[in-house]
Amino acid sequence: MTRTWSNAPAYAEVVRIGIRSMLAYRTRFFFSALQIIVQIYVLRVVFTSVYAGQGSVDGITLRTTVVYLTLANLQGFFSSSFLDYFIRSRVREGKIASELARPVGFLGQMLALQIGSTLAMLPLLVVAFPLAWLVGGMSGPASAGYGALYAVSLALAYVIIVLLGLIMGISAFWTLETTGIAMIYSLVAQFFAGALVPLWFFPGPLRVVANLLPFQAMGFVPVSIYLGLPDGGNPLAALGLQCFWVVALYLFARWFWGRAHHRVVIQGG
Amino acid sequence: MPIITADNLVKEFRLPKRYGGPLGGLRTLFTPAYTVKRAVDGVSFTVDEGELVGYLGPNGAGKSTTIKMLTGILVPTSGMLEVAGLVPWERREENALRIGVVFGQRSQLWWDLPLIDSLRLVGKLYRVPAERYRRNLDRFTELLGLGAFLQTPVRQLSLGQRMRGDLAAAMLYEPPLLYLDEPTVGLDVLAKERMRSFIAEVNREHGTTIILTTHDLADVEKLCRRIIFIDQGKVLYDGPVQRLKEQFAPWRELVVQLVPDGGELPPDELFDLPGVEVARREGAKVWLRFDPKLIPAPRLIAQVTARCPVSDLAIVEPELAGVVRGIYAEREAALTP
Repeated sequence: MTRTWSNAPAYAEVVRIGIRSMLAYRTRFFFSALQIIVQIYVLRVVFTSVYAGQGSVDGITLRTTVVYLTLANLQGFFSSSFLDYFIRSRVREGKIASELARPVGFLGQMLALQIGSTLAMLPLLVVAFPLAWLVGGMSGPASAGYGALYAVSLALAYVIIVLLGLIMGISAFWTLETTGIAMIYSLVAQFFAGALVPLWFFPGPLRVVANLLPFQAMGFVPVSIYLGLPDGGNPLAALGLQCFWVVALYLFARWFWGRAHHRVVIQGG
Repeated sequence: MPIITADNLVKEFRLPKRYGGPLGGLRTLFTPAYTVKRAVDGVSFTVDEGELVGYLGPNGAGKSTTIKMLTGILVPTSGMLEVAGLVPWERREENALRIGVVFGQRSQLWWDLPLIDSLRLVGKLYRVPAERYRRNLDRFTELLGLGAFLQTPVRQLSLGQRMRGDLAAAMLYEPPLLYLDEPTVGLDVLAKERMRSFIAEVNREHGTTIILTTHDLADVEKLCRRIIFIDQGKVLYDGPVQRLKEQFAPWRELVVQLVPDGGELPPDELFDLPGVEVARREGAKVWLRFDPKLIPAPRLIAQVTARCPVSDLAIVEPELAGVVRGIYAEREAALTP
């Protein structure tokens, strides 16, 4: 433990590097924010026509659904993890050797980088939030209590997102050239996190699948807590589920990294 | 007192059998068939403190794999390795504090950020106290001429500038051990010279132990007293540069500038002597390769000058490059049935 703390300035510097390198890509990053705004707009239009003037579907109002989609996409964008992409490309180019040769643990470096890149993104909320509100819809939390629970749930969701990004990234040590898998993964994750269709509209069997996967804990759980769980359920049970995934994914990531480290292959001699 | 002891190191890679064809990639993924490649095959050596060793070998000989085991990045399949009393992969982070590594083909610098950001990161990662960091940064900035581009994003640097940045990053925390994996690859003559004098200086002034892998034999001739030559994962030679030449190239060359006798140049047959062959000929200039054990230089010179008029003579020792080319050629010949 003492050793970890003596490394604090090192991790702080890695966080700073994360911020600086994210800012080096501000244009690209600005456009991907724009893409999310467009996606929110499109989803609003689609669901408005799906509702076809009906007050509510399955007991959920159009207004609730639109707020859900707005928040889920905005939150998904700002809490996204670039570790999957980062580790994968470093492994492919053989540059991962640099990180591995450091006197600081690999997982710690990756987490610090992730925190840095998230911190760099946050200021953009000032622009993105009002825009999302405008093209989608926004409302306050169902109550102050749900608002507080949302904050906790969002923090847990972030941890889950980062852990999953890390795990996907580590898998690159086995599947060196499969960018295709990464793309399919991100699509599946987005879908089961409920970013495109709220999980409450999933048909029975699909909902069962969604409930068994960790993805709902990244997006659907916090946003539906914010809205006061419009399709029922206990908020504490939802938080408990997230905690379960945090612990399970953390343990898995550690084990997985141990395996990966033992069979590291640095590409290209 | 050896600072590095490698004993019978073996590293095998399991490579999945690749399939061609439209669904080849998928088949590769689901077929548990592997070919085993032995990149390092029983390598043993020791390196003393303060040595500057050239680690040489053709492409794919296992040089980089050895370096990666020394850094603790790769775990060997079998064998023992100790670096300054530590087994690198067992205490990787502790080991990392004592070594500097430069992979010539892969920069450790952050591509999109100014060079100074990467250096500052290194300072923090290796826990260099602020005072010492400033002092070292100033020194390396001067020694390597970094001043002009410290604030430039690394992606905009020339290869030579980037390599200097990488060297500074590897030396900033004054590690007692430095591994340089092809540090001069792709550099122009001037940049190479600058790199070499820096490496020599670091070795001389700080007593830094250096292992240098390279394809540029001029690096080795100018810097190293000792070389370890590996091929196909095995140590072929370990010792002084001079003795490698004696062992693999026992010949010397006599360069003769002939004077045309009545407009006619003498034919090659003129130099048909035991232990002598014409290695090269460019008009009036002839390179005679001879074995000093069969025919000592004074006798050869006497014989040559007696047979034809000569305007100039020079005895040339084999260049390392030539020797190594000879070793590679021999290997190629042995491999082709």
